[in-house]
Amino acid sequence: MEDSVFEDWDELSSDFKELEVANKTYLEKLDELDSYQKQCLKHIEHQNYRLNIIENSLKDLSKQPECKEKVDVLHDGIMKRRAHLHEIEQTLPKQNGIYLKIILGNVNVSIINREAKFRYKNEYEKFKLVLSIIGFVMSVLNLSVVFRPLELSFIFLLVWYYCTLTIRESILKVNGSRIKGWWRLHHFLSTVAAGILLIWPDTPTWAQFRNQLMWFSAYISVVQYLQFRYQSGVLYRLKALGERHNMDITIEGFHSWMWRGLSFLLPFLFFGYVIQLYNAYALYLLSYSPTSTWHVPVLSFMFFILFIGNTATTIMVIPDKVKEKVKLQYRFMSQRLSGNLVVKENEHNCSKKQE
Amino acid sequence: MADTVLEEWRELSEDFKKLEAVNKIYQEKIDEVNKYQKECEKQLQHQKYRIAIITKNIQKSGTKYEELKEEILKREAQLHEIKQTLPQDSGRYLKVILGNVNVSILNKEEKLKYKGDYEKFKLIISVVAFVLAIVNLMFISRRVERLYLFILVWYYFTLTIRETILRVNGSRIKGWWRTHHFVSTAAAAVLLIWPESETWNQFRVVFMAFNAYLSFVQFLQFRYQRGVLYRLKALGERDNMDITVEGFHRWMWQGLSFLFPFLFIVYFVQFYLACTLYSLSTMTGATWHVPTLSLLFFILSAGNITTMIMIVPDKFKRNVKLKYRLLSQRLWNSTDNSTKQN
Repeated sequence: MEDSVFEDWDELSSDFKELEVANKTYLEKLDELDSYQKQCLKHIEHQNYRLNIIENSLKDLSKQPECKEKVDVLHDGIMKRRAHLHEIEQTLPKQNGIYLKIILGNVNVSIINREAKFRYKNEYEKFKLVLSIIGFVMSVLNLSVVFRPLELSFIFLLVWYYCTLTIRESILKVNGSRIKGWWRLHHFLSTVAAGILLIWPDTPTWAQFRNQLMWFSAYISVVQYLQFRYQSGVLYRLKALGERHNMDITIEGFHSWMWRGLSFLLPFLFFGYVIQLYNAYALYLLSYSPTSTWHVPVLSFMFFILFIGNTATTIMVIPDKVKEKVKLQYRFMSQRLSGNLVVKENEHNCSKKQE
Repeated sequence: MADTVLEEWRELSEDFKKLEAVNKIYQEKIDEVNKYQKECEKQLQHQKYRIAIITKNIQKSGTKYEELKEEILKREAQLHEIKQTLPQDSGRYLKVILGNVNVSILNKEEKLKYKGDYEKFKLIISVVAFVLAIVNLMFISRRVERLYLFILVWYYFTLTIRETILRVNGSRIKGWWRTHHFVSTAAAAVLLIWPESETWNQFRVVFMAFNAYLSFVQFLQFRYQRGVLYRLKALGERDNMDITVEGFHRWMWQGLSFLFPFLFIVYFVQFYLACTLYSLSTMTGATWHVPTLSLLFFILSAGNITTMIMIVPDKFKRNVKLKYRLLSQRLWNSTDNSTKQN
């Protein structure tokens, strides 16, 4: 028994030496990886810098009509190059923005693996879906019974939900999502609004407003649920078609080219925004009531801003012209580079040499 | 003019081909690194599994294998060091908040820098909190109060996230310290929604004074802690990511024991606040917030005092110091020997 223990230990120790060697090589590889990362980043910076210079030169050239063809070709080339560079950037780690630096500190949240990136986004959508369902249940509960702790729990959940969304969306942004500015701002504002709702004391003014708020929350949860369910369907279809590189979210989670399949949701969304306007109006009227506190006019203003932002952004995405241009831009970005573009460039170079 | 632009474009395109080539190698390196990661993880698991078996066998035989036991302890320390170079799972809490993103910091320098940033963050917020607490003592403004309490909720919430990230990166942050922050977040939240009432008016002055004092002690603590961290870095003993009580590393106690009485006062005031809240809860017009807060403050003070008492005893200190010296020693000796043998 004694010998076998020492024998086991010696065997384990020689295994350990192997582990140490493997670990040493691993750490060296990590350092190599780091230096390649830095090289790529330097190259990208160089490319961006020179591209800007060339674009400026083109501005002058485009004034001369005889160079028009060459200028167009170069513009095309520049746009393609920027798309390529964007693709390459997705393979490299990115710095966190200020918001994430404050909350998480300087930890790297870049997801380098493409599959993992896509999975992360899916998870984000699923998170929203789960919380929509919980939100719906809580709104309905709050409509069936008036119980202050239940109200407070619901509003706490709202604050936490929007705060978590802001964090997750910042991480998505670091990982290449072109999440539209308004969408992120919207969530910051919602966090603040939920915070104010939380400290709004239990006054008669609140009693007059609460039902409206709960109905609105229930409605929003239903629309969000519809949206995410159909969005997953579209995402799966696209995955099958191979068009799965896009990390973009424009409005309420919509990718620009999804509109066709999901435009039936537009009236629902617009109706939701109209209710936001109605909330703002109702709160404005309530602010004249004798038991109203500062919370009421501030919330009225916030709902109004949310209404304006939501409506404007949705209207801006719809027009066909905008849709087509955006589709073209995105087709460039999401095409795998090895295939079409290289062939086209070779053809182009050949035709130029012939000239 | 057009020709120079075309020439620049051609040159840039040549450079771009170089970038594509480097990027391709880079992506291959990523795959290589992943391969080595998996290999290390597999071998690590193997070591752990066998050590568990050997330990079980030894325990049956009683006290015979003292030397072997020490070697096992050393091996576990070495394995812990290796583990820190590999990515770790984030845990449930971070997965809910951040999603499934990897927060392991593989580079040792950066790990320590991350911890330094965490200490700096606490330092800055304690200064802000101190100022706001004083303002709240000088003027009674409901809005300033709410602002202060919002900041408290946000601060403790952020701390729970950062500390979980530290934990993923190898910090042996003591369980109570983290629980303490979750409980503090809850307490700050209840304070936030405590409506304006006579009970609150009676409580607020003592509370704000306590906060000012707490922020002051925290400031002292974090400032001196950073000093000790820098000194240790210079001495080369910089591998330790551990935080025990209120941010103290175990072997820091010697340099910072002057802070003990200050901290004890904090914890006893917390207990006093719990008692005050309890008596206030029997007042007319007291809402549910009062007894809830009383309970929360009681939990905080009990946990803090218990943890403090457990850390202080000398015997315990020395034993722990020895354990940590083994764990945090740069394995110069053992690794030196093994390389010489090769």
